[in-house]
Amino acid sequence: MSPAPNRPLTVLTVCGVGMGSSLILKMNAEKALKSLGVDASVEHTDVSSARGMKADVAIAQGLHTDELGSVAPVVLSISNFMDVDGLRRQLDEALRAQGWLE
Amino acid sequence: MDALEFIALNLFNEVSILIGLITAIGLILQRKPVEDVVGGAIRATVGIIILFIGVEVFTGGLASFQAIVASAVGLDPPESTNSLDGFLGERGSDVALVITLGFVAHLLLVRLLRTRYVYLTGHLLFWMALVITASLVQVFGDLERWQLVLVGSVVAACYWTVQPLFIAPMMRKVIKSDDWGYAHTSSSVAWLGGKLAPLVGDPARHDVEQVRMPRRLSFFKDVTVSTALVIGLIMVVGVAFADSQVAEAQADAYNPDVNPWVWAVIAALRFAAGIAILLYGVRMFLAEIVPAFTGISEKAIPGSRPALDAPTVFPVAPSAVMLGFVSTTATFLILMGVFAAAGWFVLVPPMIMLFFVGGGAAVFGNAFGGWRGAVLAGAITGVTLAFGQWLGWNLLSDTAPELATLADPDWYLMILLLLGLGELFSGLGDNAVLLTGAVVVAIFGVWVWLLKRLQGRAGDGMAESETDESASDAPRER
Repeated sequence: MSPAPNRPLTVLTVCGVGMGSSLILKMNAEKALKSLGVDASVEHTDVSSARGMKADVAIAQGLHTDELGSVAPVVLSISNFMDVDGLRRQLDEALRAQGWLE
Repeated sequence: MDALEFIALNLFNEVSILIGLITAIGLILQRKPVEDVVGGAIRATVGIIILFIGVEVFTGGLASFQAIVASAVGLDPPESTNSLDGFLGERGSDVALVITLGFVAHLLLVRLLRTRYVYLTGHLLFWMALVITASLVQVFGDLERWQLVLVGSVVAACYWTVQPLFIAPMMRKVIKSDDWGYAHTSSSVAWLGGKLAPLVGDPARHDVEQVRMPRRLSFFKDVTVSTALVIGLIMVVGVAFADSQVAEAQADAYNPDVNPWVWAVIAALRFAAGIAILLYGVRMFLAEIVPAFTGISEKAIPGSRPALDAPTVFPVAPSAVMLGFVSTTATFLILMGVFAAAGWFVLVPPMIMLFFVGGGAAVFGNAFGGWRGAVLAGAITGVTLAFGQWLGWNLLSDTAPELATLADPDWYLMILLLLGLGELFSGLGDNAVLLTGAVVVAIFGVWVWLLKRLQGRAGDGMAESETDESASDAPRER
């Protein structure tokens, strides 16, 4: 499943209730994606709702990644919520592996 | 005059529209394009409307739960003269103003007092503002709006400023860095758990990784699932012991054709659904407001650190989180039985708080006492939430008693502080609320001064301090 070249990527950040940490994660993911030059729309949500959604990339802490099922072909597990550079590296690697980033 | 009255009644009294306006202003201040401003304002407004619908469903579910369990154990269901949705209808727009003005005041305090941490846990900006407003209305009754909003925002600003600061030395040990602070209303039990944990265990000898948590527990991390399961189980057992007429009446109110047993299960699922809707609404308006707050604070206070929600510490010790959750829930359920047997009160297991507060406190407990510390911190949380719920329900019975079942430990302390001071100054008439506000400012002012002295002495000023009395030898990440 490769995104069409002229469609923004859809990214989902997930946490337990979908209010606090996933929102911070969303803002940091937006920063990271912007610095990679990737056009993307980022949404945040809780684990239950995420399972009914579809996205290109899902980002959550390790505690929740197992629960995400087949939400997205790329699932990233993060451990430091404030580490934008680390997230950027993870995104860079994963997007290149999918052939979504030249 | 007519125009002003129109604006006051139709814009500033309608919380959803007020939140929409505040969001629009925040987005305009960030120079967002017009489609973002319009879209953001509408999403925030709709978010509030969804929140209200969720509160209605939740409150109804809560009433059924209390009726059934009360009948099963032979108690009277808890009484109140108002409810959360009633209170939000009357005072919701004041809450919106308390969040906004309180956050601005918080930024000023962080900047002026150089306390470093900006409180960015959005839903707790909302809930704390709500708890403070409810407490002030509860004790002072029909307050003038300006007094309520002024005192409410000042009290909220003090709390948001001091809470991340007082827990900061511990937090730096927990996450082994100073990238962010801890902004969560579980701070009191997290602190207590951290302080008492060394008495029961040692972080190295009783490493939490020695404990294997059963894989089966993992679905409990989903609070929608755990709420439906735990409440459902209690409901079914409740119906078995409840007066059959009470159960019939409750089931009939939902649908006369439905059997009470089936209704018990549906009621539990609706209870979980109510919370899910309520949270969806909160999430929707926060998604618009928090980025605006963050943008403003980054510009206004360079060098500040964000203070963030409890799950941001979960990756440090995921096993401790599960252990804390189990320990908190077990403690709470045991106390639920004790309360029922003693005829005190009908407790409602608040699964979200049992998970997040218990889990957060357990991460602190684990950092200072290994798995034993985590279990202890969980047990402390369970006790606090049980007694707090009982106390909180009675204290807020004229405003929004449901806040007590959705509450975190710091909420109870805030309710006690405000109601205590209000009671103390009750003879002073109109000025009592202002005096209460002034006393809260004084208490928090002295607290900040002490914290800065203690934390500053241990290190080289706040910015560089590796504080707390027993300096850690863990490497600092910079």
